[in-house]
Amino acid sequence: MITLENVSARHGPLALANATLAWGPGIHSVIGRVEDGGTLLLSLVAGARRARTGRTMVLDQAPGDSRVRRQIARIPLEPSLPDGLRVDETLDVAAVIRGNQPGHAAERLATLGVGSLAKRLVRSLSRGETRAIALVEALTSSQVRVLLIEEPLCAIDPRAARQVTEALRAKARSGCAIVLATASMRDASEIATDHIILKAGVVIGRVASLEPLMGFSPDGSEAVMLVGDVQQALALAAEIARAPEVSAVEHHGAVVRARGSDPLALARAAARAAIETRVAIAELRLQPPSLEEARAASAGIAAATHANAYERMRTSLSRAPAGSTETDPARAR
Amino acid sequence: MIAVLARAPFARLTRTPRALVAVTAWCALAVTAAFIAHVGGWVHGADHALVETYAALAVPLIAYVMIGAVCGTGSLSGSTAPLVAFGASPAGAAIAIVAVAVAACGLLGASLAAVVALVAHGAADPPRTCDALTSAYAGALGGAAYGSWLSLGAAFGRRGGGRSAFLVLDWVLGTGNESAAAITPRAHLRNLLGGVPPMDLSERASAMALVFLAIGCALLATGRAAARRGGSGTQP
Repeated sequence: MITLENVSARHGPLALANATLAWGPGIHSVIGRVEDGGTLLLSLVAGARRARTGRTMVLDQAPGDSRVRRQIARIPLEPSLPDGLRVDETLDVAAVIRGNQPGHAAERLATLGVGSLAKRLVRSLSRGETRAIALVEALTSSQVRVLLIEEPLCAIDPRAARQVTEALRAKARSGCAIVLATASMRDASEIATDHIILKAGVVIGRVASLEPLMGFSPDGSEAVMLVGDVQQALALAAEIARAPEVSAVEHHGAVVRARGSDPLALARAAARAAIETRVAIAELRLQPPSLEEARAASAGIAAATHANAYERMRTSLSRAPAGSTETDPARAR
Repeated sequence: MIAVLARAPFARLTRTPRALVAVTAWCALAVTAAFIAHVGGWVHGADHALVETYAALAVPLIAYVMIGAVCGTGSLSGSTAPLVAFGASPAGAAIAIVAVAVAACGLLGASLAAVVALVAHGAADPPRTCDALTSAYAGALGGAAYGSWLSLGAAFGRRGGGRSAFLVLDWVLGTGNESAAAITPRAHLRNLLGGVPPMDLSERASAMALVFLAIGCALLATGRAAARRGGSGTQP
């Protein structure tokens, strides 16, 4: 649905270098800060910017094509809606432009639980409410097949935030390609099913899940456990601390945090400790790595993969019979 | 589709209280000048009120306020952003905004000119009804030309600051009667309302010039707004 081939672009301090990507239906994340080029990448896909080199295709057309434009929705951090209109009128105008039937504003707004905003003037909405309305418009339009969102869980109306994740998944199930640009590893891991990691405009990693990166993190991974009270937290922390795979434990109130190199071993240690102490863990969550940790890990994985491939090639060349074509390792690289 | 796209700028125009207050104030100024001419018993009261207050002050400033309301706080290309975000073509969105601005300025220009002509009617002016209709026709052309002229101005500058520059340009160039005045709506509107013609042009030529200005500036404005929306005028 979305393909970028060797795309390079620049806008002010933002740049993107030689990006080659392909996204189909589903939820995909672009992890990086604004200055890393995630926002610029979404602009290119939305057709709001032109690439210097390379080719961007959305639904097999250029993103600026009039047939494709109506099928793309982009929710920036500060979306602009027609500020003179009421919310229900805005949804009607958007529906006509996109080629949907107007009406049913209350029904559409109920998708994210913001039905009470229907009669408000757009200019009277807060930023979070405006983002929620823009998101409702995109999620409930049957024409939208490509949805581009910056920071999906940030600066959004709290009523809508609770339902955003499920609404995005439902939209993705209907065949929509959703691309999130976020600096939050947690948001990316909670919502998206595959991830690319950007740094200074360069794609430095692609992973289907952020969990493998946890094990490569220099500080290991962290498990957060919520228990009933402070006493239970103390008991659980003491028991977890005995596990050899746990490198550090701390508790704060009824929350226990444990660190270790292997996330799976960490979860097992927590489970064993819970059984030993007979403490019921209300919630166990593995913290996703920080953005810097993920970058370091994915760069490490890439370097290791490259070194392995090079070593395998050298080995196979050294075994090759004399007279066979000699390959320059630098060129092979 | 243009009608649907026009809902957004129309709503912005009619639901911006500050703009409505400012427009009312400038209308009141023109009508007050007409009333003073009537009370003073000026024989060419309508001509004086129309040329010296209505055309010189009221119409340009009313158009300035209305374009500001239609475009919001940004430029013409920026004001197309909400509609373009839903998939509308940048050109279509710009046409809708300029059309609303031109139509509103033309309509208000015509109405206000007729009212001023009726109120300020003097003994030596043409028959009241005929004068009101002729003034309305001139006011409609002048209002539309100003709407288009200032829309073109609003297409320049990050926040549409070109609108102010075009207003000043009209003031500076349009006050005289030499060739430079012929590119401004001010000079031609003044000619149509009985003032000094630019380059000794006939009223018919000035009417044609106002139509040309209205259409030409509207096309340039929409073209520029559409080009900026498709290129560097968008947020990253």
